[in-house]
Amino acid sequence: MLFRKMWRDLLSNKVQFMSIFLMSLLGIYVFVGLDSECNGMRTSEKAFYEECDLADLFIQGKLFVEDDVKTVKKIPGIVKAEKRYKTDGKAELDVERDLQMYFLDSNEISRLYMVEGTPYVPGMKGVWTDYLFAKARGLEIGDKLKMKVDGTEFEQEIMGTVYSPEHVYFLPDAAAVMPDYGSYGVAFMDASSYPKSDSMVYNQIIADLEGVDNTGGLSDEEKNICKNVGNTVKARLDSSELVSTDKDSDISYQTFRSEIEQHSSMVYIFPMVFLLIAMLGIITTMTRMTSRQRMQIGTLKALGFTKKTIIRHYCSYSLFLSILGGIIGAVAGYYTIGAYILSMLMETYLVPGMGLVFSARSFIAILVSALISVLVSYLACRKELAPAPAETLRPESPKDVSHTAIENSSLWMKLDFATQWNLRDIMRNKVRSLMGVFGVLGCSMLLFGAFGCLDTVKFMTRWMYGELNTASYQIIMEQGTPLAVTEEYAKKYRGQMVENAAVEFEAGGIKKSGSATIYDKGGYLHFQDKNLKEIQLNTAGISMSYKMADILGLKAGDTFRWHVVGDDRWHISRISGIYRNPTMQGITMTREVFRDLEYDFVPDTIYTNRNIKDEFEDDDNVVGAQSVSELMDAFDAMKEMMYAMVYMLIGAAAVLGIVVLYNLGVLSLVEKHREMATLKVLGFTTGKIRRILQDQNIWLTTLGLIGGIPAGMWLIAMLFASMPEAMDYIPKYEAASYLYTVVGTFALSVAVNRFLSRKVKTVDMVDALKGVE
Amino acid sequence: MKPFIEFRGVEKKYMLGENAFYALKGVNLGIMEGEMVVILGPSGAGKSTLLNLLGGMDSPTSGQILINGHDISGFSDDELTAYRAWNVGVVFQFYNLIPTLTAHENVALMKDVRKNVKKGSIWEKELSDTQILDPKEALMSVGLSEHMNQFPSQMSGGEQQRTSIARALAKNPRLLLCDEPTGALDTGTGKEVLKLLQKQSKETGHTVVMVTHNSFFADIADRVIRVKNGTVEEVVENDSPKDASEVNW
Repeated sequence: MLFRKMWRDLLSNKVQFMSIFLMSLLGIYVFVGLDSECNGMRTSEKAFYEECDLADLFIQGKLFVEDDVKTVKKIPGIVKAEKRYKTDGKAELDVERDLQMYFLDSNEISRLYMVEGTPYVPGMKGVWTDYLFAKARGLEIGDKLKMKVDGTEFEQEIMGTVYSPEHVYFLPDAAAVMPDYGSYGVAFMDASSYPKSDSMVYNQIIADLEGVDNTGGLSDEEKNICKNVGNTVKARLDSSELVSTDKDSDISYQTFRSEIEQHSSMVYIFPMVFLLIAMLGIITTMTRMTSRQRMQIGTLKALGFTKKTIIRHYCSYSLFLSILGGIIGAVAGYYTIGAYILSMLMETYLVPGMGLVFSARSFIAILVSALISVLVSYLACRKELAPAPAETLRPESPKDVSHTAIENSSLWMKLDFATQWNLRDIMRNKVRSLMGVFGVLGCSMLLFGAFGCLDTVKFMTRWMYGELNTASYQIIMEQGTPLAVTEEYAKKYRGQMVENAAVEFEAGGIKKSGSATIYDKGGYLHFQDKNLKEIQLNTAGISMSYKMADILGLKAGDTFRWHVVGDDRWHISRISGIYRNPTMQGITMTREVFRDLEYDFVPDTIYTNRNIKDEFEDDDNVVGAQSVSELMDAFDAMKEMMYAMVYMLIGAAAVLGIVVLYNLGVLSLVEKHREMATLKVLGFTTGKIRRILQDQNIWLTTLGLIGGIPAGMWLIAMLFASMPEAMDYIPKYEAASYLYTVVGTFALSVAVNRFLSRKVKTVDMVDALKGVE
Repeated sequence: MKPFIEFRGVEKKYMLGENAFYALKGVNLGIMEGEMVVILGPSGAGKSTLLNLLGGMDSPTSGQILINGHDISGFSDDELTAYRAWNVGVVFQFYNLIPTLTAHENVALMKDVRKNVKKGSIWEKELSDTQILDPKEALMSVGLSEHMNQFPSQMSGGEQQRTSIARALAKNPRLLLCDEPTGALDTGTGKEVLKLLQKQSKETGHTVVMVTHNSFFADIADRVIRVKNGTVEEVVENDSPKDASEVNW
């Protein structure tokens, strides 16, 4: 019977209970949505890397022979090792397509994951391409694929399509920002398939180490193992030019990991906000409910019901709502947010079998939310349960009201009636008022967070392609194009030549991979200091990007060690200046400084303002030309994700604002019913009473907004904090975002209040002033 | 014969700020099993306090309250709850029905009343064979077979009070306590309610204690206890109580 009572109480107080239900639902909805995709990524990462036995250590910097592999295999801590030749080639298809090529010696480490076709075994002829490349290019098993490597054309039959654990995320070149799988690919062949087999060389050894897990990120201990084994390899092979990097420095591994970390950190933020509001809702609703049902509680006690039964009954309201909300939220979150984010992840990461995984955490979240609801309900209703039934059966004695400090001040008498009334109302209903402020705070936080995210991403694009690089086109040169040839192009198109090289840094025991930008004279590349003020870099020195300096703990004037990947010469340089760059973290210098370090300047990119679209179709020296707008389009995938998040945030803000304000509004109207009737009897017009209510609403909204905007900034900082290390995000807030947030929040709050305060008109003076029976 | 209910020097003191207010002062009285008792007195005399103590809804400041020989004055919350669950049926002046439950559901609620009660109490041992009545039967016994599915707000005051009596009877309690049961009813309806209570006392042999300020009710009681200023002024045994239908006020 008490269940029926609960059910009917819920129905007759549906507005208030709806807010508890919706907030529990939203909290779990977002949690499960994010958690299931995050957990899906984690599970598939683990399964994939473990099944394929992802390499832990990559050794390069010289050409290897079989004896080297034998030596490496004998080093303690190395479980397996194999050599291979890794290079960039082309596939001759509709157009020439970039194809990263691997000529394998064996397939023990970073094994290929077969999608279809014949599995690779050492010595077998043919080519295995990545699945998406084959799919996008319409390649079938058995097709002959024409390729070009190291200047030689050759052909191999496609034996199968695969996923590669080292190619979960990969870009065609240094200039690309987002992957566009299918337009370029990766191919694996046996070493014997190399077209000039007599001149075949191996430029990489990969190794599987003991004590290093395949998944879950490298712990400090694992990093140490990699470092120590790497040093032993260098010593045993007696080659100081060797570079050994652990998988943490591998862009594929690192990007996917940081994506997982980023999503993990987001899992808790939103649900916490919603659950906090749900808890506040439970406090206000249950306190009012039990206080209103005081007589019923007394009756139940007098009839012989135990306290436990009564507590259980009142806790069942929020338990029922939070569990129901939780279950609906979990299912909806899984199939909407989870599925949507997963579909976008699948465009970015090549992991077989990536799907949503409903984790135990989701069950625990529902349970925790339910338990907290029960606890909050218990705390809210225990007041009515403590006294003896004889006391509970009597109507509650009026609250002991005393004057607050402000009411005793001289200022008080100068305030008009409406202000005094509102101030008293707020102070005597602190929890309700606080909940209103929190609701508005949450709403404006989400709104400001949404607009701020957009501002930040828009700013990044504008910063990169409007301020730091003012060229309208970039020409990508073929690898290995002689400097003299590139210079001719630069001259013809009045461009600025730039070389991008992979570099490894070391300072204070911290080792990091990054890039070096070597530039020729020209006016397209610009630099800004950490406050984004345009600066001229010292042309005689080496400058470091702000984020890289920050990671390495360096400042201008400090020294650091570095070397170009593939070259064993380590240099000790002094930072001559610090500049800021959103996507490229590393160092920059002029070609003259680079030349003084005895490097050949081999530019790979020319920046120009000439309109050069479609000029290089049959040009062997040029890979292609891209306009700035095309480069900006590459950001679209990121923007699409961002927009999805922005809409989600705005939607959540609206739901939060409406639900909380509507709920409190109804509560406040019910409680003020008699006061409003009295005011009407005294001659106050409906309009005047509505204005008084609106005044209070505006005060609380203003308070919420004051807290909401900094909270929104915190939210943005949290969201961007977990972006990949190579990204240097600067949170940006345009004036319009402040305006939209303030206007949006006020509009919502005023609209809800106006909608509700229509009820003032229907307050019946006679009815409301009758005695309470 | 030993009284079924015995008050020995019972005091109930309330603190109003720093001042002590005595609702009951050294009350001594005895009630025999199966009696119909009327407690009379003006407002503030202490009759409701007496009823609350008798119903285990409050505890005395000092003194003893013996029910069938067991002193309930020092009982803990849980023990008092068990006492109420097994022994007491209450009829309130304003019915105190659960507004969101129908008449039938209000009575059926009693089926759950002993579920979480402390196990192994003296009452459980004494009264283990008392069954909770079927809600339909209880409602029929008060003449409400037609209104079972109505909510309190759809019923008249008399119907609500009869539901409240049916709810109290459903427990089959050996002690039925009624706090001004006709206070909110017109004379005709009030008389019906009185008849029901008297019938209950006669037919089941259970003790009925009714608190009222209406001295006309004294005529139907086996025993009348007059209370004034927190003390028992007079106890009168009535050898030939009138039938409830004969009482007029």
